[in-house]
Formats: sequence, structure tokens, C-alpha cells
Amino acid sequence: MSAPKFIIIGNGPAGLEAAITLKEKAPDARLTIISRDPHESYRPKLLPDYIAGQIDRSALMARPFSWYDQIGARLRVGQTAVRLDLHAREVLLDHHERLAFDGLILAVGGQPRIPEPYWVFRDLMLPLKTMADADQWIDRLKDVDDVLIVGGDLTGFAVVRALLALNKKVRFVFGEEALWPTRPTPEIFRQAADRLIRRGVEVVPGKLRRIVRETDGALAVTTTEAQTSAGLVGAFFGLAPDVAFLAESGLAIERGVLVDEHLYAGFPGVYAAGDCAQVYHPQIRDYWVSIGYENARALGRIAALNLAGGLERVNVAAESIFDDDGIRVNTSWWMEFGS
Amino acid sequence: MNRIDLTIEICGLSGDGTIAAGGLLNEAMSRAGFSALAFDSYPAEIRGFGRCVTRSRFGFDRQIALENQTNLLISLDDEQSLSRLPFLAADAVVLFDNHPPSPVAEGKSIAGHARPAMSLFGAPFRDLAAAASGSAKGRNLAALGVLAGLLNLPVDAFRERIGKKFKSKGEKVAAGNIRSFDAGLEYVLKTYPDRLRPLPVPAAPAGQAEKVLWSGNVAIGEGALAAGLKNYFGYPITPATPIMEYLAARLPAKGGRVLQVEDEISAIGAVLGSFYTGARAMTATSGPGFALMTELITQAVSAESPAVIVDAQRGGPSTGLPTKTEQSDLLAAVFGGPGDTPRIVIAPTDVTECYHLTARAFPLAEKYQTPVIVLTDFYLDNRVENIERPSISADAVADALLKPAPDQAGSYHRYQVTPSGISPRALPGTPGFQHNITGLEHDERGVPDFSPGNHQKMSDKRDRKIQGALADLDPPEEYGDPGPLDVGVVAWGSTFGSALDAVQSARDQGLKVGCLKITALFPYHEDRIQAFMDRSKTILIPELNHSGQLNTLIGHLGRGRIVRLNQSTGIPLYPSTILGKIHELIGEDRS
Ligand SMILES: Cc1cc2nc3c(=O)[nH]c(=O)nc-3n(C[C@H](O)[C@H](O)[C@H](O)COP(=O)(O)OP(=O)(O)OC[C@H]3O[C@@H](n4cnc5c(N)ncnc54)[C@H](O)[C@@H]3O)c2cc1C
Repeated sequence: MSAPKFIIIGNGPAGLEAAITLKEKAPDARLTIISRDPHESYRPKLLPDYIAGQIDRSALMARPFSWYDQIGARLRVGQTAVRLDLHAREVLLDHHERLAFDGLILAVGGQPRIPEPYWVFRDLMLPLKTMADADQWIDRLKDVDDVLIVGGDLTGFAVVRALLALNKKVRFVFGEEALWPTRPTPEIFRQAADRLIRRGVEVVPGKLRRIVRETDGALAVTTTEAQTSAGLVGAFFGLAPDVAFLAESGLAIERGVLVDEHLYAGFPGVYAAGDCAQVYHPQIRDYWVSIGYENARALGRIAALNLAGGLERVNVAAESIFDDDGIRVNTSWWMEFGS
Repeated sequence: MNRIDLTIEICGLSGDGTIAAGGLLNEAMSRAGFSALAFDSYPAEIRGFGRCVTRSRFGFDRQIALENQTNLLISLDDEQSLSRLPFLAADAVVLFDNHPPSPVAEGKSIAGHARPAMSLFGAPFRDLAAAASGSAKGRNLAALGVLAGLLNLPVDAFRERIGKKFKSKGEKVAAGNIRSFDAGLEYVLKTYPDRLRPLPVPAAPAGQAEKVLWSGNVAIGEGALAAGLKNYFGYPITPATPIMEYLAARLPAKGGRVLQVEDEISAIGAVLGSFYTGARAMTATSGPGFALMTELITQAVSAESPAVIVDAQRGGPSTGLPTKTEQSDLLAAVFGGPGDTPRIVIAPTDVTECYHLTARAFPLAEKYQTPVIVLTDFYLDNRVENIERPSISADAVADALLKPAPDQAGSYHRYQVTPSGISPRALPGTPGFQHNITGLEHDERGVPDFSPGNHQKMSDKRDRKIQGALADLDPPEEYGDPGPLDVGVVAWGSTFGSALDAVQSARDQGLKVGCLKITALFPYHEDRIQAFMDRSKTILIPELNHSGQLNTLIGHLGRGRIVRLNQSTGIPLYPSTILGKIHELIGEDRS
């Protein structure tokens, strides 16, 4: 029998950890890793520092291309999976190439979430998920002095710091989406707002209502309680699993790919890990989603161990701490995606 | 200013429009002010299926050689293009059709083979062309549109060239093709806005001379026309055929004639006949045809008849490698044929020299009453360069026939022995100057004479005459430092550009190297070559042949310090290969 052929879709922390583990546990397997990003695997956490000009591009990169050669894996970058055919056991790529697999790990992560009421303004807001997003931030910030942050998920705080370091005037619509995906106590919420104000951020009260581009290019922003404007509006509503391409695959999809506590997706040899997975939690008998770099790695490892023949469970007690200058939040597990 | 050095390759199957796209690219880039050097290769089969590849190197500075690494590949057929992957730079850009009519199996797409550090840009070439023009035929133009958008090339130059090229096929086809180009352009701007790679465009210097995009063969044709060619005789053979085709389209309008004869023996015979009557004539051939001509070439040496013969070398021996390049006819050109047959052999090293040396071959042939062989090769004949339109003064190509003085009427000796070896030549039928000519050894009157003293005397005369031609042949040109050299590279023909490119790189790295260009291969400037070799610790002679033919010819001047670099692969010698050898000789690997 020829060596099994494994495919990992995703070159983020979940995909990378899965690759390392697979090469450890199934060294003879042929392994292909597919990434939509046309570049090396990067550390999203460092994107704000990159925008602030504090680190250069190379410092963002998690693994050089040569590393994949060293572990004997084939990396395809700039290529997107557009369909999964579980019957033929094939992945279809955007350039119309079919890849057969014996085992598959879905580690496609998330994409910036724009809550439905704001969907109509999406082209007027800039998210931050990819290197390309970061480059766009850098480019746009050249001509803009004041930035408004809406949403205010955890990464939004890191971006605020970057913007202040660049001497930009920062406003923050500090509404109920702030600190997403956690549900902060009123006390934490107040502390966070205070901290922003102390740093020189103008906190705009209320909930986002409307964004309008003025003739001079500036953006007029209306909230339920105030009116303000900005040269650039950053959207920070967290990430939502990026699984639309799996809709017709036959996999159970809710917001992410539904998997059991072994990260098994219900079809032989198919697993999901990282931000794209919705994992069954046997105690509460419901599906939970993780967030964060370390969680993604842990899940990637477990998916790989199980694809290689193991039967490991995810550790639902794992902690992942988001720490932004004193605001500490455990981001390991949460259930809801909000609207 | 950024230095641009960009090699673009287009690869497809015959029928994909690969060569057409390459031609348009070269023209548009040339129009946009880039310097270009391009070389296409296609299968040996004249028709039928096979891989076509065009390679073009662009820059701001004059391009003198192709390199072996490609920076950007346009794949019009992924299965064919897979073979090109080893020649792609580590960070190459690959443009490919990302929407084949039905999904392909794993590994059939070039995307499955490109290294991660390469940048893939997929675009549905076929679909874009079909939607824009109603036919997928224009996919090569859609691909050019993608390229133009990606690199921010001057699109009007492309549109204009496309319109011109397809005008003969009707307005509709031309407009459809421009739309296909535009569709590719729009697609890339819309799909990859954050991955565009705008290329700086050269600023057009004021008063820039007109540039033409010529192949070596076109330049040879133009050189012959500039010299007032009257008759062209030829028999088709790759890679010389385009010379005949070019002249067939132009010479009649200038009152001349092109005649395709039954074989190469006829061709050289007709050239000798034409020149004998005073009408400039030329033939062009390649190795196998040249072999057929040798008997009459030696006849011309003996009878002291002018002739201009282009030998466009290809891979040999025999029919050899018809569509591959080689420099292996050198010794045949210089020595080929029975007897002691000194003749003039000159070899251009670039397209501009193809023009000048061909033009100057005519007065040389007339003045020295000898066959002049212009030695080119496939890589020179078929490459295109954009060059300042060459021109040559009327003086430089003036009739060089040394006529006998009128007072010699009645006592005219056709083969009069003179200090220069040149005997005045009367045209046949001139009253009072009737004479014999013959390939038999003859006395001064042209009467056969086999006596020992006569043969010695006539052999001396013919040799003296050809050696005297050195005065009219370009001396070798030196490049690099005038002082002592660690490595001195001596090169000829199409390989010279690569050698100079390598030497320039080596000098940029601080190495003490130089280069010598030899265009006069016979006779050759012994003293100049000797002087260059004497100041070189090691002499490197790179050649596209197996036996080191230039080394055989001039190697004795190197006093044992010559190293040969020979390549018999049918493909050009690239600068990097020569540079690698220079590093090896200097004893430090800097590559
Ligand atoms: C700006 C920012 C800051 C962050 N800061 C922190 C932090 O401080 N601490 C922390 O713990 N977490 C942080 N996170 C979150 C953390 O980065 C993610 O939880 C983690 O990256 C998830 O890993 P993943 O492998 O599941 O998915 P991702 O990292 O999103 O990787 C997904 C991979 O899948 C590929 N992909 C997606 N779809 C396809 C497809 N269809 N075909 C082919 N390939 C596809 C992508 O190209 C990518 O390679 C931050 C995130 C961002 C954006």
C-alpha cells in the first residue's frame, strides 16, 4: 500500500501544529498544506506592532518556506480550497485542480466578523486579519490622522496601542460589542474604558448606527448617542469561522465545522481544528468555539494525533489569556458569536 | 534609479499563440523604452505539436545576453510549462490559467509544482478572451493583459501593437484581440489590487534615436540591402531561411532579385557568377548546406572570385540539431575544403554587428577578391534586440573593385603578382581585358601552370592578399581594466554577449577580469590577441562547441595558459555559466 495522503487546509497555528504532529506520528505519509495566503505562515498577534512600524515583515513570519522542505511536506501558498467532495475524497482548489486525500484536517481559521446590522457599511470599515489587511492599514494611515475603532474586540485594543504609537488621534465606539467575545462584568468594562481614556483615546458612547462617506473622503459616524467623524474606521468585531466553502460538502456546519471532542467531523479521516472548529463539550452537551493562538495549536495537535490513529480528547479546561496592558481575559472557550 | 533586469518567458503548445504573444511583448516593451533581447525556441518539427517558448530579457541598460533564470513565466499550457520550472528564479512570478475547461487532476496544474516562494497569479485566460471577443483564441492576449496590469506596463503600447498585428485579419479580429487584452488587464487590477508589482518605466531621454526591434536575420538582410545587394540565391534551411524570406519581400522593390535554386551548390555557383560580372550577390545557409558549398568556395579562392556567404550555424554534425544553436562550423568556415584556401571569415556578436559586418562583407569580397564568410549562429539569427536603427555610410560600402589601369589593355594579367597580393580585376567582356579564370593552378595570365615555382608563388600571393585584409578588419576589442588580469575571457559570435555580461558581473564583484571580442576570425589580429593574452594570468575561451574550435585556431598564442569552457547542449551559453567558471579559476566561489 502506498503511503497515505494527508491534506491540511490552513497554514495558521492550527495547521502548522497539525503538520508537525503528523510528521512526527505518521512520518511516511505524504503531506500537503494549503494556504490561501500568498506568503509564509504569520503571527497575527504581531500585526499591530507591524502596523506601528515596530517590527518588520520578516519578524511576523512563523516558519520559512524551507522548513516545509525540511519536514518533507508540500506547501501550496496562494491557493484556496473552494469545494470539498467527501464522496470522491477530493479537495477542489480555486484554480480548478483536484487533490485527492486519505486524511484531511480543516484548519481554515476565521475571518473578520461584521455583525449583520453593519453589513451595509462593510466597505467603509477596515478589518485586521491578514497581512494584506495590515498592509492596507499602513497604506491608509499615511494620509489619515484620526481613526475610529468600532466593535472593540480584544485585538482592537492592541491596534489602539499601535495607533497611539503612531501619534494618531483615536476614537473608540465603546458599545456593547466591546471586549468581544468575552462577556465582561460592568466593572471590567468600566476599567477598560477608563484605561482607554487615560491613554488619550476619545471614548464615543452608544452603539454604531451609520457610517457615511463625505465628499472630502472623511467618514461621518453616527452612534445611538453621539456623532463623530474619522479618516478611517477600523472594524473589530472578532473572527467568525471561515467555512462557507464547506456548505455543500455534507459536513455538519453551524457557525463552524461541528466536530466531536476528538475533533472528528463525522467522515472517515476528516477533522477540524482551530478557529474554524465548533467542538462538542461533553459536560455541557453543546458545541463551543475556541479562540486564540495557543488553543489553535492545541487543537491542531489533537486533530493530527487522531488522524494518525489516536483517540485524544480536547482539553476544555485549557486557558488562553489575553493580556492587554493589565486587562486580562481568559479567551479559551466561549459559546456565542453574538449577532 | 532602480536597475531593472527582468526575464519573461511565455510557454505553450504550438497553436497557443505563444510566439505571437512573445513578439507583441517585445514590441510593446521596446516601444515603452525598455531594452530587450529575446530568443524563441520551438520544436524541430516545422509543423505539428510541440512546446514553444519565448524568452525575453528587459532592462534599462542595453541587454547583451540572456540569463538562464526566468523571473516571470506566463504559462499558456501548464503541462508544457512544467518543464520550465527548473529555469525559474526562486522568487519567480507565474501567471497561469486558473480556469481550465474542467477541473484537472492533481499535478496537472503548474500551481501544484510552483515553489512556495514563487508568486502565483491565476487568471481565467480562456474565459476572459471568450467573453471579450467570442473566442478563446485570444487567451494569449488576455495573458498579456494580466501581465501588463500586474507590472503596470504602458498599456497603450500593447493596444497599438495588437491592433497593428491583427489588422490584416480584419478590424473585427483586431478589436476583439484588444478587448481580450483589456479583459486580462481589468481582471488583474480587480482581483489582485494589493499584489500588483508596478515596474518602473524608463524615462525617454530627449532626442533618442529611433529604435528598431530586429532579429539577427533581419539585420543581415538589411545589411545586405544597405550594401546594394543585387542578387540573392538560396536554398531554404533553418536557421538561415528567414534571410531569404526577408529579402524576397524587399529586394525586388530595389531592383534586385531573389532566386531559390535547387540546392546550395547552385546557390554558391550563382553567387560566384553574379559577382564575377560585378553584381553583388549573397547566399545564406547552415552547416549541411555550407558543406555542399565548400568545393565552389575553394574554386573561388583559387580563381579569386568574390562571394558573400552567411553560414548560420546550428547544432551539427550533418543535419544535426536543426533548431538548436552551436558554434561548431568555425574550422569548416576557416579551413573547410581541399588545398590551402585562405579566405575571410568574420563573425558578428550581436544584432547591430549582423548589419554592419554583412554590409561590409561586400566591399571586402570585392577588394580582396575572395569569398567572405559571415559566421552567425541560431542564437544570433533568431534573437531579437531593440537597437538604434543602424546605418552605414555610402563610402563604407562603395564598390571596392580594383580595376586595371586602362593602359594595361592588351597586356592585362588577371593574376598579376603584386606586393599586396591583390591583382586588378577586369570585369568579363571589357574590351582589351579578356582573360582566363580557372580553379586549376595558374600563372599570372590565368593559364594553367603546375610548375613548382609557380604554385609556391601563387600560394604566397593568395596568402599575402588575405593577411593584408587585416587592415580592413575590425581589431579585437578589449573590455575591462587595461592592467594585468586574473582571468581574460576571449569570445566570439553569440557567446561574446554572455562573456561580457559575466565579466561585468565579475568586475562588479571586484575581480580583475577582462574580455576580448574577436570578430575577425580569419585572418585574425595575432598581435592584439597576443597582447591581451599576455596580460591575463589565465585565459578563458568559452565556446558553444565540443572541441574548442577558437582555441584550436588561436590557442597557440596563449602559451599554455588557456582554459576552455565548451558546451555542446544546443542551448546558449549563459553568463552565469561563464561567471561560475571565472570564480572557479580565481579560486573563490562567490556564487
Ligand atoms: C490581529 C490579530 C491579533 C490577535 N492576537 C491574538 C493574541 O494576542 N492572542 C491570541 O491567543 N490570539 C490572537 N489572535 C487570534 C489568533 O491569531 C487566532 O485564534 C489563530 O490564528 C487561529 O488559528 P487557526 O490556525 O485556527 O486559523 P488562522 O490563523 O486564521 O489560519 C487560517 C489558515 O487557513 C487558510 N485558509 C483559510 N481558508 C482557506 C481556504 N478556503 N483554502 C485554503 N486555505 C485557507 C489561511 O490562509 C490561513 O493559513 C489574534 C488574531 C488577529 C487577527
